[in-house]
Amino acid sequence: MKHGKPSWLRPGVAITLAAVFFVPLYFVLANVFKPGDLIAKQPAKLPLPPTLANIEAVLTRPDRLFWVSLTNSIVVTLLSVLVLIVLSAMLGHYLARTRNRWTRALTLLLLCGLMIPPQVILIPITDVLRFTHLMATLQGLVLFNVGYYVPFGIFVFMGFIRAVPVELEEAARIDGASRMQVFWRVVFPLLRPATASVVIFLSVWIWNDFINPLIILGPSQGTTITTGIYRSIGQYQADFGSLFALMFLATLPVLIFYLALQRQFVKGLTGGATKG
Amino acid sequence: MVAQVARPATRPAPEETTRTRRRRPLGPALGHFASFAAPGVLIYACFVLAPILVSLGYSLTNYNPFNPPTRYVGLDNYQLLLRDDQFLTALRVTSILTVIVVIVPNVLGLAVALLLDRHGWLYNALRSVFFTPVILSSVVVSVIWSRLLDSEGPLNEALRALGVDQPPGWLSDPAVALYSVASIISWQMLGFCVVVYLAGLQGVPVELQEAAAIDGAGPVRRFRAVTWPMLAPALTVNTVVLLISAFKAYDYIKVITNGGPGSGTTATIAFNVLQTGFDANHGGYASAMAILMLLIVAVVTAIALRFLQRREVDL
Repeated sequence: MKHGKPSWLRPGVAITLAAVFFVPLYFVLANVFKPGDLIAKQPAKLPLPPTLANIEAVLTRPDRLFWVSLTNSIVVTLLSVLVLIVLSAMLGHYLARTRNRWTRALTLLLLCGLMIPPQVILIPITDVLRFTHLMATLQGLVLFNVGYYVPFGIFVFMGFIRAVPVELEEAARIDGASRMQVFWRVVFPLLRPATASVVIFLSVWIWNDFINPLIILGPSQGTTITTGIYRSIGQYQADFGSLFALMFLATLPVLIFYLALQRQFVKGLTGGATKG
Repeated sequence: MVAQVARPATRPAPEETTRTRRRRPLGPALGHFASFAAPGVLIYACFVLAPILVSLGYSLTNYNPFNPPTRYVGLDNYQLLLRDDQFLTALRVTSILTVIVVIVPNVLGLAVALLLDRHGWLYNALRSVFFTPVILSSVVVSVIWSRLLDSEGPLNEALRALGVDQPPGWLSDPAVALYSVASIISWQMLGFCVVVYLAGLQGVPVELQEAAAIDGAGPVRRFRAVTWPMLAPALTVNTVVLLISAFKAYDYIKVITNGGPGSGTTATIAFNVLQTGFDANHGGYASAMAILMLLIVAVVTAIALRFLQRREVDL
């Protein structure tokens, strides 16, 4: 506008770009609600009239693949995130408040975990889990998730804990509260933004995780939402309606979670970006 | 615990530190560590640190869980790797993929962020559109795109309808497939970069922009002299995240191409490690590959971080 450009230029370009970008998502959304024979013939057409047949087919599969996967994903995600919040908040607090040579080295060692690709550890992990009889169990996967994501948790928590005045804790200690009480009653409530970030990111990552459940839960035993989709690719062959319906249902919980917490999502992301 | 409470609030002077540390009772410190730090550290040690060491150990053996006995073979695996065409191909594939995935979402993400850097419901909604793929599982993204890019899929059908006789085999042509996979990953990561750059743009003071404008700087000059330097932290975050995501790209390749078409034209190191380790059961050889991969990731990330953070400090 300032330079004499027409005022529709920016919104026009932005909408066009976003529309092109959205095509793949439209492709799935449209075809979830379209009868199977039309998907191959008219993939781009709007699903009119819409049908729920694909979704119904997935929900009523005789092997209950969707329901089993959904339950497994919910259990693994909830348990992992819960344990991760408790352990990484306390560990982050310990590392932020106890500052000496040893904790500095320990912090560095833990933060290195942020960039370790899972491929590097998965081969020995399966041996560790087999040895402890946790291979192909949900507990095994949860434990692995906790170990693998603890660096991210402490990374977020430490930054926030440094901003909480120590005097607050010292005052509570002098009043006779134990370390645990001080942490859970005084410090932890102040860390809500950090907790929100950690919950949001870890929930999405763990829910969407593919490689770790694929290998830890093994080839046949259990499936999570993502490995369930992967296994159905072969089964559904040309039945894209059902495959897309499964993907749609698998994504729905994350999508709702995202839409509900959108603002915190962006805040969590950008906290890191602006502080560096 | 009691001794800790009784400790005076003032810290000991620095020169006393060593002596005080020796005299301070060890019990409470240990208790503090055991209750606050030990559980997390222990699980991390069992599931991340120990496996890396075990991997290192395996890499010096011919370990194969289904073919005992395991023998120590020294650096044989590493020597073999450096002459293994499959590994060298994977190294090349990983490098190409990483370069594309670091550059494309960064550049396009910045462009889209500059476009969307306005207030109002429209721009908020469009930002959500770009961000949605970020929260999708890479498996879902891979399935969508492999259908779209199938040689008989919607994209090629549309191209044929437009009169293109021989549309490219996006995922079946060995010369094209890697670039298709890189584009798919870029599509998914774009929204991440957009949101991070948008946050960076909010941090650029309007006064600075105005001052530059008064001094006669045009939009390009203002971007180069004011906006771009202020976006340094956002560039750091995006680059490091993209770097690490590209290095560990496995899901996309497993679902979309399974390493093909042809012999390993899209097989990254991350993909080969797991194929060799779990499908071929060459645990020792795969571990050597994994250790090399870890070294490459660590070195490249460290260099990138150092370089990018120095830019931030120069402000």
